[in-house]
Amino acid sequence: MKRIVLCLLFATVIVLSVYPASAQRYITLGVPTSLKLIEGYEGHKAAQLAAEEINAKGGVKVGNEKMMLKIEALDIRDGEPGVPTSEALLGIEKLILDKKIYAVVLGNFRSEALLAAMDIYSKYKIININSTAMTPLFQKKILNEPDKYKYSFRNCLDAPSLVGYISGLMNKINKDFSFNKVFITTQDVLWAAGTGALMEKWFKENGWTVLGFEKYPTGASDFSSGLMKAKSGGAQVILAIFDMPTSGILVKQWNSMKVPALIAGFISPLMGTKSWQTFEGKIEGAMNVIFEIGHIPLKTYMPSTQFYEGYKKRWKEELQSGHAVSPSYDAVYILANSIEKAGTLDVDKVVKAIEETNIAGAVGRIKFDKGHQLIFGNDPMNTALGAVFQWKNGRRVIVYPESIAEEKIDKPVR
Amino acid sequence: MIVYSMLIYGLINSAILALMALGFNLAFGISGVANFAYGAIYIVGGFITWTLISTLNIPYAISAISAIIIMGVFGALIYKFIIKRIRGLVMSEVIATFGISIVLLELLRYVGLIGFKYSLPVFIEGSVEILGAFVDIQRLLIIGLMVLIIIALYLFTHYTKTGLAFRGIAQEEHTSLSLGINPDRIASLSMGIGSALGTFAAIVILPLGTITVDSGYDVLISALSVCIVGGLGSTFGVIIASFIIGYAQTITAMYLAPHWTMLVSLLAILIILAVKPSGLLGHQKELEERV
Repeated sequence: MKRIVLCLLFATVIVLSVYPASAQRYITLGVPTSLKLIEGYEGHKAAQLAAEEINAKGGVKVGNEKMMLKIEALDIRDGEPGVPTSEALLGIEKLILDKKIYAVVLGNFRSEALLAAMDIYSKYKIININSTAMTPLFQKKILNEPDKYKYSFRNCLDAPSLVGYISGLMNKINKDFSFNKVFITTQDVLWAAGTGALMEKWFKENGWTVLGFEKYPTGASDFSSGLMKAKSGGAQVILAIFDMPTSGILVKQWNSMKVPALIAGFISPLMGTKSWQTFEGKIEGAMNVIFEIGHIPLKTYMPSTQFYEGYKKRWKEELQSGHAVSPSYDAVYILANSIEKAGTLDVDKVVKAIEETNIAGAVGRIKFDKGHQLIFGNDPMNTALGAVFQWKNGRRVIVYPESIAEEKIDKPVR
Repeated sequence: MIVYSMLIYGLINSAILALMALGFNLAFGISGVANFAYGAIYIVGGFITWTLISTLNIPYAISAISAIIIMGVFGALIYKFIIKRIRGLVMSEVIATFGISIVLLELLRYVGLIGFKYSLPVFIEGSVEILGAFVDIQRLLIIGLMVLIIIALYLFTHYTKTGLAFRGIAQEEHTSLSLGINPDRIASLSMGIGSALGTFAAIVILPLGTITVDSGYDVLISALSVCIVGGLGSTFGVIIASFIIGYAQTITAMYLAPHWTMLVSLLAILIILAVKPSGLLGHQKELEERV
């Protein structure tokens, strides 16, 4: 008996010496997303950058204790074609149960996956700050059952705000050049076609002539039919909304077919700084909506520039996305700030603190509405902000909103 | 003007489909192996060319030729080390080549080749006006190169010893054996040349846009649909099918709506399988059909 007690004492001493009393405790943040898509790939790096910055300053203060942040990513591939939502949800549950994550940042890519995942986050009481999916049904779901879905927030642009920026841009084009003939072309996926339909309605209500509305299947590599119709119809503006890789061909064809219309909208391959080289300068004059600033540095708003430069310094490459990355970085700061404010990791108290967030982020001032959606506007000191840039001689020049415009819009010379 | 444009862009679309399908068709026609890794080979060939140009600063022409040779050898090695052991077991061949395809494409993603920044330069800059329609020179080159490849393939299979051996194996493998033709060597060569043709198509077509991993699956589907409609193994059938599908897609996009174009090849496959399962000019299973 004496020998057993001695052995136990010895084992206790060994264990205590291996695990000192001051062992570091971590707050684990999950990043379940499509890591092989550019926004997921860069968004994950942005979250890592934020966690590293916070840890370098000593971590997150929880009451009297300092805790470090740890990022656990999982490629749930929900943004890739053919991956069922159910599979993405299994991945999220795996992160929650295996890695014991405290919260989720960046999160689901596609709206349908986000809407379904909200139930899982509620079930496990996991805070979710989504930075990618754009459906307005997100807010609706929260407003309908606020107690159940209070754990979910979204800190990126949503579809109605995108329509707001595009319609504002069209108003400006109309005012500057008296253009009022538009041809709409979108990818045949829910978010793009939906945004196109909302814009078609807006154009008709605001005195524009809509010459056509064509939807191209994902993977399409010839856009000549739509461009020919736009050209022969005398279109002054082509509104293009695409997030597929082959959509860069649209702009190359627009250039080679010498279509004398402004091309504007969201064409993901045209977003990053490397696009000019990729498309051999054939994108001169094309306009693109950056969903959140930070993806493009805004000289008049330092946090966006600091993030942009910090990312470049840390990862030795420039951002190429136009969506989700700066919000992913902000999401980590929102969480850290709210935990410190709440002084505890109690989820309900932290949720309350997130609802009251009012901090300067890479995307502008961060404040949430009652539907837990980040509020967007035109002044980064008061709200989050999207921007429209135009490719001018290899530079991305911000041309809208007017509050932050660096130069005027150039008309195409054909 | 729209009609002329439609005719020109329909021709270009057809040439692209033909170029994409010729390599797949050649390998199947000779070795009898449906190479489901073809789309992946197309994309890997594009990425190799991009890497040689952008990372190692090797001149475009040398990079392109190197990529064609590398992928050609790779195709032949696939046969030698994988397909040879399971040749004749159709399901095993499909599973093996599709497995290779997944491994290759996912490997590209794994090493970080994601995003939109990868593209190949066009051969000649600029565009020209034809019958009121502006067309970039690269697209016109695609038509010319398709014609050249078809002529080269014809000359190769009709006037060279290896080419005649190709045809011999395609027509009657056992009789060819009695003439001293080694079917495994020829099948391996056909897989190699098919892969080289796929890479050639990539180098010609990819400058129109960007190189992305997912396109590998699209290329396979395009090549497969053209070959099924034309008749697996028939080069002339592939050319006819390319023109039928290419023009049908362009006309559909012009007069119906672009999002219906994805149904064109599926519809063509359905019709051909119902009317003539061996394809327009295919001889596979033709005897069984007659019986």
